[in-house]
Amino acid sequence: MNIIVCIKQVPGTSEVEVDQETGVLKREGIDSKMNPYDLYAIETAIKMKEEKGAKISVVSMGPPQAAEIIREAYMMGADEGALISDRVFGGADVLATSYTISQGVQKFGLYDLIICGKQTTDGDTAQVGPELAEFLGIPHITNVKKIVEVKEHSIIVDMDMPHAVQTVEVNYPCLITVEKDINQPRLPSFKRKLATKNQAIPMYSFKDFTDQNENNYGINGSPTRVIRIFSPEANNDREMWKDTPDVLVDRLTNKLKELKYV
Amino acid sequence: MNYKKIDGQDIAFLISVCGKERVFTGGEIHESYSRDELVNEHLYPEVVAEVLHTEEISQIMKYAYENNIPVTPRGQGTGLAGGAVAIHGGIMVSTVRMNKILELDEENLTLTVEPGVLLLDIVKFVQKNDLFYPPDPGEKSATIGGNISTNAGGMRAVKYGVTRDYIRGIEVVLPDGQIMTMGGKTVKNSSGYGLKDIIIGSEGTLAIVTKAILKLLPLPKKSLSLLVPFPDLAQAIETVPKIIKSKSIPTAIEFLEREIILASEEFLGKQFPDKSANAYLLLTFDGNSKEELEEAYEKVAHICLEAGAIDALISNTQERQDAIWSARGAFLEAIKASTTELDECDVVVPRDRVADFVKFNDELQQKIGIKIKGFGHAGDGNLHVYVLRDQLEEKEWQDKLARAMDAMYAKAKEFGGDVSGEHGIGSAKKPYLEATKGREYMELLKRIKLAFDPKNLLNPGKVC
Amino acid sequence: MAKIVIDQDKITEPEAILELCPFGALEWDNQYLSINAACKMCKLCVKKGPAGVFTFIEDEVVTVDKSQWQGIVVYVDHMEGNIHPVTLELIGKAKELAAKVSYPVYCLFMGHNITGKAQELLQYGIDEVFVYDDEELKDFRIEPYAAVFEEFITKVKPSIVLVGGTTVGRSLAPRMAARFRTGLTADCTVLDVDENTDLAQIRPAFGGNIMAHIVTPNTRPQFATVRYKVFSLAEKTNSPTGKVTFCTISKEKLVSQIRVLQVKPKEKVKSIEDAEVIVVAGGGIKSAKDMEMLQVLADKLGGMVATTRPLIEAGFADARLQIGLSGRTVKPKLIITCGVSGAVQFVAGMDSADNIIAINTDENAPIFNVAHYGIIGDLYKIVPDLIERLAQGNE
Repeated sequence: MNIIVCIKQVPGTSEVEVDQETGVLKREGIDSKMNPYDLYAIETAIKMKEEKGAKISVVSMGPPQAAEIIREAYMMGADEGALISDRVFGGADVLATSYTISQGVQKFGLYDLIICGKQTTDGDTAQVGPELAEFLGIPHITNVKKIVEVKEHSIIVDMDMPHAVQTVEVNYPCLITVEKDINQPRLPSFKRKLATKNQAIPMYSFKDFTDQNENNYGINGSPTRVIRIFSPEANNDREMWKDTPDVLVDRLTNKLKELKYV
Repeated sequence: MNYKKIDGQDIAFLISVCGKERVFTGGEIHESYSRDELVNEHLYPEVVAEVLHTEEISQIMKYAYENNIPVTPRGQGTGLAGGAVAIHGGIMVSTVRMNKILELDEENLTLTVEPGVLLLDIVKFVQKNDLFYPPDPGEKSATIGGNISTNAGGMRAVKYGVTRDYIRGIEVVLPDGQIMTMGGKTVKNSSGYGLKDIIIGSEGTLAIVTKAILKLLPLPKKSLSLLVPFPDLAQAIETVPKIIKSKSIPTAIEFLEREIILASEEFLGKQFPDKSANAYLLLTFDGNSKEELEEAYEKVAHICLEAGAIDALISNTQERQDAIWSARGAFLEAIKASTTELDECDVVVPRDRVADFVKFNDELQQKIGIKIKGFGHAGDGNLHVYVLRDQLEEKEWQDKLARAMDAMYAKAKEFGGDVSGEHGIGSAKKPYLEATKGREYMELLKRIKLAFDPKNLLNPGKVC
Repeated sequence: MAKIVIDQDKITEPEAILELCPFGALEWDNQYLSINAACKMCKLCVKKGPAGVFTFIEDEVVTVDKSQWQGIVVYVDHMEGNIHPVTLELIGKAKELAAKVSYPVYCLFMGHNITGKAQELLQYGIDEVFVYDDEELKDFRIEPYAAVFEEFITKVKPSIVLVGGTTVGRSLAPRMAARFRTGLTADCTVLDVDENTDLAQIRPAFGGNIMAHIVTPNTRPQFATVRYKVFSLAEKTNSPTGKVTFCTISKEKLVSQIRVLQVKPKEKVKSIEDAEVIVVAGGGIKSAKDMEMLQVLADKLGGMVATTRPLIEAGFADARLQIGLSGRTVKPKLIITCGVSGAVQFVAGMDSADNIIAINTDENAPIFNVAHYGIIGDLYKIVPDLIERLAQGNE
């Protein structure tokens, strides 16, 4: 079976600051790393490979330095990978990103299953998986918390809902997004690092794609615009309540109502 | 020893110095002031004073000296050898409220702190300023005063050394109430006896540390860990001297076994990234560039593979480090949770004898018929070995525990090791110190103690 | 077309120019300055760079005729007809927004055997509830649900689509946004509508460390998802005037590659790290039996009970419920500490909770340094009364 795992490079820390003057994220000196949620996706694929046999391809969209995380995926157990990178893709929002990846995925040929992490730590939108599935015209299941069975033509998974777990069987080709804690991702192996040191990382750019309309990519293909980014106001309230028990219970009940827990 | 019992007048004096709200007697004394992290017995001081200034400590000491009252200094009480327990009653001087960071001197790269500042606050503060205080004991909620008193070590000792190596100067109150400074901001010092260094690690028996000038380093920009699985523990530990010999210096080299990994998974409810092997070495590296780090860890990874390691797994992100180090940090708690009672042996042996010592413990376990679990700092020879009571009857437990401890300390001595690597002697390990060091050595310690504290009032019953 | 153009002749100090880009997207090969794929189009180089080197060029965009898209629709999130309360919160917000631009408010309700429930929605002042009731829609499956959503949007042409940030909503909304090639902003915490009917959407990113204000200026509809408990419930109206419209869709559009094998109720969260609400028992708790009282409170708030280290040592609770440096680190939305003094050991494991409520008799207890709401009082007086009050509220 052929599995494609989508991965992304994100800033190494979530403790980012906004430059008050320009409104742009301060990124100087911040390391990059693989989106932590994607590690679960890779691990899910490797477990399937160990159980049933599979070829795992990883794909990422980003600047040339994002090749690092493809190499890291090799060190975890991926068989091949490619990086989608082009200046034309700059400034893409979720829609343009998903569309671009859908073009890139088609370069891998036939696939059975695409696995994505639930979300990224920088965007936090959890939208790329479903949008990618839509552009590819395949069904998707989000919030997968357990792989129940991998069959020849379908996969059975548990989908995590607010108050229920829905067990579904879905035919290939399809896309799933996996929850964190579906497994404990393995660490990159030094032995595999040595073994894959010279393995190539192909780079796909705009000219490699079927759709040659520049308006579908990057900032032009993005329907949303970020007007401004700013630091949130922290909850710095510090109130001390000293009163009779009756009054205190009253105030507490009201506070819980205000916080929507009652 | 004939110490004066605390009476109303003494308490009135303490209140006149500290105010009512910082003096506690009888039932007001919090339970935690009666023990430390390992001692099960509760021994209460007669009165606790939570001091704010050096001057207060000086006044209290002067009064105690005149009235023959024992004084036990105390920080957060996170010790493991009973050092901060008032075994003779008297006054407990708690420095937890002396928790101010006084000065960051970026020109001399020093940080001046009060003794009650927590290690975790120091780490956070200096990091924000791109600086580094290397000593890294496991208990981050300990005070720096406590760290100085036990000469705390920690995992980074392999590369950076221990607390003593990072104390430039101290201010102390002597048993008679005199305030004195030792050392300072200077890098060099050969002005007479190294009193500062004798106070460090003296467990509050010679003087009370009221201020410390810490030496800082530039903060290494990057760090990374290697988790190296081995077929068995002997093979893992035998690799350590080879790593040291290669002159690439990891900041830490720890060893762990599968059994303890499983215990901590159970305790934390979190999965460890790998548990396929019986034994592991866990190494960390720090440096200023990715290339520098890569060069260092690759060299060590090759040495491990040649020595029979199954692989070398790379932990290079916060999540991965958390998954590994939160488990490592929970080992003691996990062992505690797995048994009814335990005692600890904190021996240190030369690094090339660690493997032999671990093997010896394994055999000892069989011979005596008691469970012994351990983990530790393979890179600096400091082992934390825990003897577990499980379901043993009191008499059998005491008997087997004593036999196990005697055997282990004797073995450590034979290997050229010592009683305590980083937890100190306190009251719990005194017999073993004497057995290991001999009478003359103990006599010398006692004479030093006498020179500082002729009335034996400061933390009596500890160390010697 | 939008792009940043570089005038190579005006470059005097290329090294300094490289520093301009926070994303490292500028490259200099000793002759030629170029922009690589790391570019986020933040335009900082245009704003801060030397005059004339960087120019942002954007062609006139063909804008949709916004007047053709009217109304706000709320997707009704439900499970077998039980409507998720986030739906009612979204209805409340939708009505507020609709009032500003004189829009009608719709509900889109799809499922099986839900007809009866549709009527109930009208009492919140909805103008029109569109119901698609079909046995193929019994359980959530993405293709049939998406097909119905598409049919509805094509027919009604709403300007704004609000979807609850539930598993279903977060699966369905992006699929629809992609189908209509329009924008979707996830997990909005603030919503407003501009005069030109653009939806002003504010959402956190980077785990809440950054807030972003986002609009969808050139396409319709505008999709937004919002999580549960962000907005307030809609008020009921005394005189509902809206109507329920039953719609049908052809069977062939409801074909799916997914078979739902089982839907089982979820077990409760097991680990305190995953709990949204935590009630903590501290040293002020006198006996193991009193833990039950806190459990009742936790149950009322849909949370879990946790403890401090001394209580674990006293054998009051399982070690896995310990918060602190030597236990677990938690970051719940709400934490209520009962009789916890607030030792460093403990505080380090919980001080990043969103809302900290502390109950303690000692007003000097260090827990009050981190509490947002510090209640000086006896937990044995407050907790039982609070439980009673909450029980009354539920009736």
